[in-house]
Amino acid sequence: MILKFDLSKEELGALALEAGEEVLYAVPYDCSLTGRYVERAFTVVTGTRLILLCGGVKESEYLLADYDAVKAEPRINCGVLYAVKDGQEFLLVRYSSRHLARYAYVARGIALLKAGSKERACSDENEKSCFVCGRALPGTKECPHCNRKNRGVIHQMMELLASYKAQMALIVLLMVLAAVVTLLSPEVQKHLVDDVLHRGDGNYPLAFLLLGGMFLLGIGMAAINIGKSYCCAKLGSAIAKDLRSRLYQKIQILSLSFIHDKRPGELMNRLMHDTSRIRFFMENIFCNLFTVCIIFVSVVVYMLVLNWKLALIAFILVPVAGAVSMLWRKNIHRRFRLQGKKSDDVHSALQDVISGMNVVKGYGKETEESDKFNLYSDVFANVQKRNEVFWAMFFPLLSFLMGVGVYFVIFSGGREVLGETMTIGELMQFVNYTSLLYTYLGWLNNMPKQLMDLITSTERINDVLSQEPQIQNTEKACKPEIKGAIELRNASFGYHSYDPVLEGINLTVQPGEMIGLVGASGTGKSTLINLIMHLYDVDSGALYVDGEDIRDIDIDYYHSKIGVVLQETFLFSGTIYNNIRYAKPDATEEEVIRAAKMANAHDFICRMPDGYNTYVGEKGSRLSGGERQRIAIARAILNNPKILILDEATASLDTESEYLIQTALERLTSGKTTFAIAHRLSTLKDADRLVVIDKHRIAEIGTHEELMARRGIYYGLVTAQLEMQAGKEESVPA
Amino acid sequence: MAEEFNLGQMEEETEAMLRLRYLTPDTAAFAKTAGGFVSLQTGEESYPRVQVVRMFPFSEPEKYVSIRTAEETSREIGVIENLGTFPKEVREMLEEQLELRYFTPVITKIYQIKDEYGYAYFDVETDRGRCRFVIHMGGNAVVHLSDVRILISDIDENRFEIPDVTKLTVKEQKRLDLFL
Repeated sequence: MILKFDLSKEELGALALEAGEEVLYAVPYDCSLTGRYVERAFTVVTGTRLILLCGGVKESEYLLADYDAVKAEPRINCGVLYAVKDGQEFLLVRYSSRHLARYAYVARGIALLKAGSKERACSDENEKSCFVCGRALPGTKECPHCNRKNRGVIHQMMELLASYKAQMALIVLLMVLAAVVTLLSPEVQKHLVDDVLHRGDGNYPLAFLLLGGMFLLGIGMAAINIGKSYCCAKLGSAIAKDLRSRLYQKIQILSLSFIHDKRPGELMNRLMHDTSRIRFFMENIFCNLFTVCIIFVSVVVYMLVLNWKLALIAFILVPVAGAVSMLWRKNIHRRFRLQGKKSDDVHSALQDVISGMNVVKGYGKETEESDKFNLYSDVFANVQKRNEVFWAMFFPLLSFLMGVGVYFVIFSGGREVLGETMTIGELMQFVNYTSLLYTYLGWLNNMPKQLMDLITSTERINDVLSQEPQIQNTEKACKPEIKGAIELRNASFGYHSYDPVLEGINLTVQPGEMIGLVGASGTGKSTLINLIMHLYDVDSGALYVDGEDIRDIDIDYYHSKIGVVLQETFLFSGTIYNNIRYAKPDATEEEVIRAAKMANAHDFICRMPDGYNTYVGEKGSRLSGGERQRIAIARAILNNPKILILDEATASLDTESEYLIQTALERLTSGKTTFAIAHRLSTLKDADRLVVIDKHRIAEIGTHEELMARRGIYYGLVTAQLEMQAGKEESVPA
Repeated sequence: MAEEFNLGQMEEETEAMLRLRYLTPDTAAFAKTAGGFVSLQTGEESYPRVQVVRMFPFSEPEKYVSIRTAEETSREIGVIENLGTFPKEVREMLEEQLELRYFTPVITKIYQIKDEYGYAYFDVETDRGRCRFVIHMGGNAVVHLSDVRILISDIDENRFEIPDVTKLTVKEQKRLDLFL
């Protein structure tokens, strides 16, 4: 996202920058405080001032030093920026949703400036639309239309096809052959008509020869087409598979931040939808691309050479036919889109009612609902009827229009034949070529859309492939033995740089220590754990593991030393055995059994009919939450991690399984550096120290007793939970 | 933060939330702040800045206006049942705050709608001035508030309203046809 727009000379002049003063942020605002749209208006931030420009003129300016803070507040479909001075708030500027995120970054940038930091706010977020052509971006960084770096489709296609040279050569050869055969057929026909039929001298051998030739050409055409389709389908699938696996690999190594920035389903879409679009193009469009082009060009040249006057007559209607077919396509597209929309309406109305059937029946609203549904259904039926009638009426008309050129050719050609400047065979050939011309016209008409689809898909795929993972092994990545000492030094982090989740965290943890993390939801407990797991890098400050900067430790190696038990345990499709072995695939049966026993999981596994071979996961047996949890603990025990993360590991369990899990966890955590998050504070009673996180910072730190004695946040939390507990018990009649 | 977990106080707050307290010209004194916001004095309580929020922004924009505290996790101070009951200058002050909070331009004229590769590009005249915006063709960019009233969301999550599509010219309606 751009935070520093280019200002014109005039606008820069209006700023009247002093020596050494530099524009740090310049972002547009698009509406006035009274809600009118404004053009070319900017909020400019320099090291010392905030200046509002509108139409190249300075509207107002504020000295940053005069104010305590500048804040961006989102409103409904817009937002405002205001400054705070001695508790009083002053409205500065207003903007539409288009610039909402931009101003959040600028406010953060100003906060950094006021804190005297050298750091600048910057944003990795993609723009929504292209500033050059104004088109919406399909979720990519570069605009597929304006991105000149790729030098167009040809270049992209070449890159894509580079590793399939032999196959490509074969396909091109087949395409050329197909063109030649298509063009030859009318030529042979001409000879049949002129040299045999027209003369009428009963030259049977020549007739058979020519008919045989036509027959062979027909067979050849079929064979070539089959071969061509086969090769293209093979190539298309191979390319799609290739891209899919490259994308998948890339997505796996990309940092979580990249995945979280995308809408859910978007990456899935790119992986499946965009790759199959490329396959579709290869199979259906590319397959005929050269054939059609060669035929088109040769037909035009051939016709001009044969009889340029007649050729021009044939061409006259090409633009008309082209325009007609373009209009037709557009119209049909619109009509059927509308039909699709109405059909969606019917679907969702149906789904609404069926899934809410008990409510409908409960309130006796059957009649109203069926009236409502009938309405949708009627509208859909009408649209459908209209479209079918339209199609039935106009499609024959279109076919006629597309063929009208042929009549002109026959008329003028016929006159030439009568005037004996042309033979009948030549005329037939001419007519054949003219129909070829018109047949492929429609096909070529559709090309721009197909090409654009291809470019968009390629761009969306390249966008992922060209990403650099934010967390990468550095050159000096090492694999030290990990004992489990963790130190955070002045660490700050936020998922968006304008919105810090953790600020100035200082924490030193000894090897083997158990730390309980406490705080309201959304205060950054899970974020702290994400940092310790090195799923994200700290924005500023540092994190040390056994005195080594975490960025210098080999990522895969480090992750193999961490064990995780989360609230919702994810089991992969497969057997219990494989699920326990997930982090250590070479573990023996005995090791797995030992781990399961330690995790209090062995008994329930043995009770299952298929024992350790029980299939679990999406399509497998259903395990209870406690059972899944114990499998996760067994997984962690087997891996024997040095650092252990427990995120709400005992939440939402019944008392018995909680006891089993609690004892299993005690065995697991002994001697390991453990970070545990729990809302139920009683589960943290074994923690050596408790860390209370509040308002993005560490608010309190100490043992249970120390914190209770302090009567701070922790004390409040504990007493509140006790009171609630007591309240519940009171309300249960004895 | 600590007091947030004080059970007694939480119960009190929950009770307070249940009450529907109406603010009238007699009980509420609004005043404009130097910074362009509005403050409120009601009974013993005084708020240096309040938020003015519509409960029914589409159906009853002038009625049932919630006056809330300024912080993010805002709390309701009281409700104005009808803005019209307040004197003109107060009403204008509050309307100005509403104006600052909501930004839903009303489309008065459609110059062009071009659809291209899954997006539709609108060029329209609104009550806030001329505007170009882009919407996703798939999905729920266009929502019907009633048979004739529609709301269009663009890719930046701006929203535009057409209060009555039948009031547009036939040509404009035809341009919009695909989305209705």
